[in-house]
Order: sequence, then structure tokens, then C-alpha cells
Amino acid sequence: MPPKKRKAEAAEAEVDGQEWSGGELSDADTFKRLENKFSLVGHQKPRHQTDGASGLFQNDQASQPLKPDHASRPMWVVEDGKIILESFSPLFPEAQDFLINIAEPISRVSRMHEYTLTAHSLFAAVSVGHTPDEIINRLEKYSKAVLNSTVVSFIKKSSAAYGKAKIVLKKTLSYIESDDPALLRQLLQDPVISQSLADSSATLITEAAPKFGQMMIPGTKMAAGANQIAQPELAAEEPEEPNKIIAALREDDEEEEEEAKVHSFQIRSETREAVIKQCWEIGYPLTQEYDFNNDQVNANLNIDLKPHAQIRYYQEKALSKMFSNSRARSGVIVLPCGAGKTLVGITAACGVKKSCIVLCNSTMSAIQWRTEFLNWSNINPDDIAVLTSMEKNVFPKSAGVLVTTYHMLAASGKRAHDTAAALKFIQEREWGLLIADEVHIIPAAMFKKVTYSVASHCKLGLTATLLREDDKIGTLNFLVGPKLYEANWQELSQQGHIAKVQCAEVWCRMAPEFYREWLNTTGSNSPKKQLLAVLNPYKFQACQFLIDYHHKRGDKTIVFSDNVYALTKYSIKLGCPQIHGGTSQHERQLVLENFRNNPAIHTIFLSKIGDTSLDLPEATCLIQISSHYGSRRQEAQRLGRILRAKRRNDEGFNAFFYSLVSKDTDEMTYAARRQSFLVDQGYAFKIITRLEGIEDRTDLFFRTLTDRKELLTEVCLAKESDAAEEHIAGDTFSMNLNKRKKGGARRTAGTLADLSGGAGMSYIEYNKTKNKELSKSKGVKNNFIRKLNSSHTNAKKRKAAGQ
Amino acid sequence: MVKAVPGVLVKCDPSIKALILNLDKEFGNQYVIEDLGDEEHLLVKNDRIQELKRRVQEEISKRIETKLDEEE
Repeated sequence: MPPKKRKAEAAEAEVDGQEWSGGELSDADTFKRLENKFSLVGHQKPRHQTDGASGLFQNDQASQPLKPDHASRPMWVVEDGKIILESFSPLFPEAQDFLINIAEPISRVSRMHEYTLTAHSLFAAVSVGHTPDEIINRLEKYSKAVLNSTVVSFIKKSSAAYGKAKIVLKKTLSYIESDDPALLRQLLQDPVISQSLADSSATLITEAAPKFGQMMIPGTKMAAGANQIAQPELAAEEPEEPNKIIAALREDDEEEEEEAKVHSFQIRSETREAVIKQCWEIGYPLTQEYDFNNDQVNANLNIDLKPHAQIRYYQEKALSKMFSNSRARSGVIVLPCGAGKTLVGITAACGVKKSCIVLCNSTMSAIQWRTEFLNWSNINPDDIAVLTSMEKNVFPKSAGVLVTTYHMLAASGKRAHDTAAALKFIQEREWGLLIADEVHIIPAAMFKKVTYSVASHCKLGLTATLLREDDKIGTLNFLVGPKLYEANWQELSQQGHIAKVQCAEVWCRMAPEFYREWLNTTGSNSPKKQLLAVLNPYKFQACQFLIDYHHKRGDKTIVFSDNVYALTKYSIKLGCPQIHGGTSQHERQLVLENFRNNPAIHTIFLSKIGDTSLDLPEATCLIQISSHYGSRRQEAQRLGRILRAKRRNDEGFNAFFYSLVSKDTDEMTYAARRQSFLVDQGYAFKIITRLEGIEDRTDLFFRTLTDRKELLTEVCLAKESDAAEEHIAGDTFSMNLNKRKKGGARRTAGTLADLSGGAGMSYIEYNKTKNKELSKSKGVKNNFIRKLNSSHTNAKKRKAAGQ
Repeated sequence: MVKAVPGVLVKCDPSIKALILNLDKEFGNQYVIEDLGDEEHLLVKNDRIQELKRRVQEEISKRIETKLDEEE
């Protein structure tokens, strides 16, 4: 991990310490341990020593004899829960449909798919109605070898633990509920859980279990009554922590039992995550489901999909996993960029029909969510409110949809009056559904508390890239829920839902002058070193060559560079407009507008602000000249920019993704790392060592040594601060259109000659950016119209002269 | 007075050439007789060639190791 990132994390952790006190349990080690509790990795048998090489393999499967008809069976089930599936087998579609229900996909390349069995995935399988025996039988049916006994007992153990105890939400307070009082007493004995109790003299609350399937549920009302009695005490107990009231899930009884009693005890809301983890550890994972149909406490929201909204099959599959047996289950749905994540979220909201809160990561996407809601559903525009730094609305009725950003909820310190009022509104309600867009950012310390401050029955996370470079992605299991569905990228692109992409890594040799300088620069991650690698003249030529090549094919190209100094250099030299963090809002709009509609602008340069939430369906080619170390997520998000290409359904259409890499530098290692996620999704990266025809071109820049030397001097003279990567605070693509300008007079010292224009030096900018040209081109371009205009004015003049 | 020095012509990748020139500078001009102007040729002292080979090898493996460390 680069030191810079490490530092940033440490800073985050500091902020974290003040805000979130569950410190000792949020360590990565604890998670590892918890994961191991219900995973197969721990139970390994001694290896068989058959020959000298057998020590190299963790699982030799020697104890599992091959079945006689193994050739016609499609999968291997490995001891540690991994399942390897042959995608060329005739049984493949059937086996895949089954596996997606019981296991999590790890890697899906063209011939071999890899899945893994986890406790979470097995819980999900049990809740959609698979029995453990059925799972084992079907695995046995598809498996080439006899199933390992460890795997069998793992499946049995995991599925038996499911559904014994659950965590529910009543009146924004969290309770642990079970129909077995003995189990709850056992839980109460646990040191961690007993510390988390809301009331130290905890007694079990016993009430009649709500009957399943009845429209009027007495149990719910009784529960509400019981809570109202309990509440005044509580209010006295924690008045200073109102914002720590957290989400939990309300759910009715799991098994249908007549006259059953449910027992429950209350836990402090802020300890929710710790309790979930603890229960996980002692072997009683808590279920979190929301029986929204039978929830009479929260007001219904009148929302339905418009008839023209067609759900694609994979969206339906994803939602059916969320809403199996008419309850909503919390979890994460993973769909590639541009495959309609928003519509999945909206459909989920239409299914639950309760108040819904949507969290996104920028103001821009908050506004997009609202528009999409209005597009696809028949929700009353008054019922959907946007809460951002500019618009501070809440909905007037008892139910509605609220769209806001993580930053709005996460920021601490004193807030503006109306913001504070809106936040209070959010915290004091019970939400039926919480939709977390780009959910992979939640584990970052500052966003963690967001999920606690909103009391929601059910949480749905949406993302394209369920990965982080720190190993915090596992925390999502506890913060939101397990992964419910992950789409197969290759399948979607074959069906035309997302564009087909050719990926290539172009190796550019380093210019010797640059390489010497690179070697002489100390510090493995110094910004200067990176800058030298990015501004490598041969890379520059390759970039120019590719831009030209794709321009001639009629493609529209986006060039990404993390480094703003290099970005500016490239864009000025190549005469293309650019957008980076420092570009004004007006200029951004202008550049994007031109890129969309003006055929003359075929290429734009973007810094990393363009990585996410920028919708440019015109773009069909993407060139990456510098990037953020080995970030797999950035690579995937950038690829996402061209997945929604408009022309994707044209015959033989391909989008292109190039990553330019300077040979013999660190970029090579990072590039390999960055690609690993996309490779798992079945993308193949071609490696291009030589661009055909690049030597014959005479119009490329930096062909002579003097030019290169000049560039090198410029790079060497660049300040450290120029070379550093840009830091963008929070909202990357916010639309501060109605930002107020400071009015009033301005005093400056000056001479009279200045005022009268007598200073006489006129200012001409050479090397201008293309952005300026765009903004100037207001005049009429067409010759005929210009002539018409001028003859018109001439006529007027003549007329005036005549009078 | 003309002085002749026996040398070995080294042909390598531009990046390795840059590496060699770097080493040469570091060790006070012990290896290279003449930089032959183009991108991949160098004239190196006859008796130093083995030592140079070793140093280049060391340099490269050092680099690979640090990269592997970073990845872990």
C-alpha cells in the first residue's frame, strides 16, 4: 500500500475514534476470526504425501474419489468451500442457476467459473426455500468427485443455525427476538451482549407472536404498546445521544406457530454492529428480514412502477432474491455500471411501499435519483424530497422518499439550522427501506455511522464494484447485509445490455533521458517519479496516435489522467478540452455539452473527478494515461464510463479501453494489479507492445531529441505540488449552480493610466487550453449566415447615412 | 598521442542503457568508455564487463523484490 494512502487512512481512523466508539470490535482481525467461524478454511486435514510436489497444494482432494461418469458432470467442489464450474458443459446453465442461489461468485472467466460457499450465501439459500439436504444432493449430482464430508457438515451446520434469533426494530429501537427463551438467556450471559443491553436489569419481554398471514396483527400493536411503556425510561437514559439511534429490522415470526410467544430484549442501538458480530461468533447469527406487508405501524407510500418500465431479467433475478417469501431481506446487489442499478432501487422501493431513504455519494447523483424516480414510478413529485447542501427539503406527508448524500449525514460539527432540522426528521422516523448507492464506500469510517443514524427496517446496497483496497469489504456483511446477487458482466454484454469492450494494455518504452531521470529520483512513490512516467514522450506519442486513430473511426474518446499537471500538458499540446477539479462549473457544463453534441470535439481529458457518476453515452473509447496506484475499483469504474455507450447495439460494435503503461517503471506492477477485478469478470487484456504504424507517422510530437529534452526540463522544473495528485474534497461533481457570488464593491490600487487603458500592454495567451476556445465560439461560424448578417447591418448603416 | 583502450560493445534496451549509465556515474566512471550516441549501444571497458553484468543483475533483482514487498 502506498504510504500516502496509509496516511489518509490513519487520518480517517482518528476522526473515526471520536465518532464511533465500538473500536475494539471493528478491527480487521476480529472480522477474520468471525468469518472463519463459519467458513471452511479453518478445518484442514493433514495433507497426503504422495510425491515431492504434493506439499505445494493446499487441497489435494485425494480423499474424494472421482466418479466413473465424471466427464459429464460440470463441477469440482473443493474442501475449502470453493466450487469450480466448467462453463462449456451442457449442464452449465442449470448448475449456474443453482449455484448463484447458494454460493457467491468469485471469478467468471470464459471457460471456468469459480464460486465459494459461505455461511451468508447458505443463509440466503435457506431463506429462499432450499433445504440443506436438497443443496447437498444437487451438489453431489453436479460434482465430479464424491462430496467431501467437511463440506457436507458445513452446509448442515450453517443452514441449521439460520433463523433462530433475529434482530428487529420497533419504534426506532433495536431488540433481539426469539421464540426460545432459553436461547435468549444464553445470549444474555454473553459478556459482549450483556454490556450492550439498553437496561442493565434486563428482563425478557414476552408477548404473543404475531400470526403470520393475517392482515390485522395484534402482536404488532401490542408490541408497540409495550414499547411505549419502556420508552420513557429510555429517553431519560440516553438523551445526549439522540443521533445514535440505529437501524434494525422489524420482522415477524419465522416459523408459523400457533399461540407462540416471542421473547425479546432490548439492546442499545449503537452497539448493534457489535451484537450482530457477537451472535455470529457464538453460533446464532441474527436474521434480518422485514415483513413489510404486515407492517401496520408505518404509513404506506403510494408508489408503483409506471407501465412502461420494463425490468430486465437479471434485475428481476436480483430482486427476487431480495424479496423471497414476500419479506425484504437486507443485502447488496452488484450490477455493472450502466446496467440499471437505479431501476433496481426504485423497483425495490415500489415493492416495499413504505418510506424510503436513498443515500448517494454526490449531489449530482442525488438529483439524478430523484429524476429517475419521477421517470419510472408514479410517485407524487411532492412526496419525493432531496436533501443536499443546496436543497433542504423533507416530504410533508407521513410517508415519502428522501434522497440525500452520505456527506450530509456524516458531517459532524455545527450544522445550519434547516439542515439540523432535516437530520432530526430523518433520525426520528422509522424507514421501511434504505437504499445505499455505491455501497462500497460505506465501510470508510466516516460513513459507518450513517447506517446507524438511520433507523431502517431493510437496507439495500447497490454497487458495481464490491471491492476495496483495504480489506473492509467484509464489514458490509454486518453493516448492510450479505451479497444477494452479482450479475455476470460477460453475459450482460453478450445480450447487449452493456457494451462489449476490448481491453488493451499498451506498453510504451521509456525515453532514455526520462528513464535516467526516473532512476535518479529517490523514493519509490515520489510524485516526480510518477510524473516522469506519465509524461514519457513515447507514451505521449502513443496517446496521440490512438486518439487520431479513433477519431478517424468516428469514436469519441475520453482520456483519463489522475495527475492534473500531466492532464493540462497533454490537453494543451493536443488541443483538446479538459475537466479537472479546478475547472469551474460553467466550463464543465460547456465542455460536456460540446463533447455530446459538437462533432469537432472528439476527445476530452478528465481527471479522476470523471471516474464515477458521469454519464457520457457518446464515449466509445477510453484511454488511461495515469491512475491511482493499484486501485482495482478505479479501473472498473473507469471502464463503466464506456459500458453505457449509445451505439452498443450496432452490428459488430466494440468499445475500447486502453491503459498506457511506461515500461520498466512501477506502472507495470500497478497495471497488473488493477486489472485483476476485470479479469475476474471475464475481460481479457491484450498486451500491445508496439502500435502498428506509429513509426511512420511524422506528425507526432516529441520526435526529436531537443523536443524531448525540453519536455524533460519542464517536468524537472515542475513543482512538487504540481506533480502531486489532485485532492478532491467530498462532492466531486456537485452542481453549485446557484452559489451566491459575493456582491459589493472591490477596492484595488492602480494608476490612472491603467484605468484609461494607457498602460498599453495587451495580453495574449499562447498555449491556451481548448476550454477557452469553446467558450469564445459564440459568433456565427457559417459563412453564408455571416454574410447575411453583415449585409443586414450594412443596409442599416446605409439607411442611416441616407437619412 | 593516440591511446587505444580495448572495449566491449554492449547492446541492450534503452532502459537498461540508462541503468548502466547511472551505475557508471555512481561508481565514478569505472565502466563505460564511450556512450555511442544512439539508444541501445555502449562501449564498456574490457576488464569490467563481468562486474558490470553482476551489478545490473543486482539492481534489477533489487527492484523486483521491492515491488513484491509493496504488493504484500
